[in-house]
Amino acid sequence: MNLIQRLKIWKELRRLEARVREEPSPSTFVDLGQVFLNLDMQERALQAAEDGLLLFPDSAELKKLRTVARRGVDRARTDELRARIEKNPSNRLYGELVAILAESGDAGSLHATCEEWSVRFPHDAGPFLWLGQSCLQSFYRSLASRDGIEAVAALERAIGLEPKQVRARVLLAELFYRVGATQRARTLLDAVPSEGDDSELQNLRRQVAAARSLGSDVEELLRSAEENGLLPNAPPTAAVASRGDDGIAAIRDSLAAIAEMEGVEKAAYIRGTRALVKGDIKDGKDPFLRTVRVVAKAGHRYSRRLDVGSFKRGVIQGPFGVLCICCYGEVLAAVQCTTDAPTDRILAELQEVVASSLYAMGVSQ
Amino acid sequence: MNPIQETLEDLRHVSGVKGCMVVTHDGLVVADSLGPRYRQDIVAGLSSYLAMTTNRALAEGGLGKFDSFVLHAAHGKSVFHDIGEAVLVVLMDQFADLEQGRHELQSAAQRLRRSARLG
Repeated sequence: MNLIQRLKIWKELRRLEARVREEPSPSTFVDLGQVFLNLDMQERALQAAEDGLLLFPDSAELKKLRTVARRGVDRARTDELRARIEKNPSNRLYGELVAILAESGDAGSLHATCEEWSVRFPHDAGPFLWLGQSCLQSFYRSLASRDGIEAVAALERAIGLEPKQVRARVLLAELFYRVGATQRARTLLDAVPSEGDDSELQNLRRQVAAARSLGSDVEELLRSAEENGLLPNAPPTAAVASRGDDGIAAIRDSLAAIAEMEGVEKAAYIRGTRALVKGDIKDGKDPFLRTVRVVAKAGHRYSRRLDVGSFKRGVIQGPFGVLCICCYGEVLAAVQCTTDAPTDRILAELQEVVASSLYAMGVSQ
Repeated sequence: MNPIQETLEDLRHVSGVKGCMVVTHDGLVVADSLGPRYRQDIVAGLSSYLAMTTNRALAEGGLGKFDSFVLHAAHGKSVFHDIGEAVLVVLMDQFADLEQGRHELQSAAQRLRRSARLG
């Protein structure tokens, strides 16, 4: 950028700063932020986005600006940390770098950095703890057993290097509990001193104490969770449970109403790892759940790669009758019904269930 | 022009249809009538992936195979009809009226099923 261009931008900047004060609106804040971004002043752009969001908290444009600016700030900070690590590597610098990568959701760079960190500081538990947390996050999102197995290996390595590592123990205990290896979770938690427990840990201890053990072969339990698409034990945090409950009651009622419709045999609502079922379904292990999950995922991939946007609905006919699937992101509602069932009405009802649950989750904003 | 190609060309004239193709389950193109917007290899690959994944998921759930699959995406619709050894894939725009074109699609699938058997 030459000097004249730069001067023009500075002039524009002064004008926009005055406009933001005189007539604040999402677009004036976005314009200002954009100029800061053009000048490579990421922090000022982030500040503009934050200021704008204080006045217009629902503005999608401002949220987008904040995301872009934050990414820029993180990039600048990671570049700086990498340069310092090159010159003088330390555990603290690696920890800071990995924390930023974790926050920005860049799992690939996080794994590479943790690997580098563990090679340079082989006796430090830090890289394995971060690696374990990252794999855990992927596992809870996708239920892929490979991620779960990697998380267990990393967290066990962290505990092996630092036996008093509380965080690794708690994360591992929580994973064991969620997949049903309750006895192993109990053993881990018993080794964590109970003084100074926060409410989350107290809650986990209570739930682990009350839960039935489904076995101790964690790999087998992880694979079974992947196959069934469900975790035997629901997330332990009270916050998650209470937030979900209000919305879920309404969804349960809507799903029950759909299951009562003419010709409907099975009805399910699935969000992430949780599922609600109605009709001729015994439990979360019914193969219908896995079938609709797989079809929806394949539908998503097909639509995205064909460049026709995201997959919204699917109607599959066969000797089994009709499968109706309606989804948005990770939320899906599905029905198996007979061929003479009113599929248009069923699809409309399913869409309503998905939309109302998204509204309850606040995604629609 | 062979009967399969002829059927596809006819199908292209149905309102809302932007392209159609007959593809084997393993992704080989038997015949197609796609507009310039679509690449034959991409549509064939994706269609065979979706058809095979869906059939596998249905079979694993003890439901057998699908006869037809209508997929609604944000910017388009796709219809898949099983025609024996292959699948008829019809790509439509998002505003296409499926009810209106249902008869044409079904009779095309029937003709293709017959052609596939004779061939």
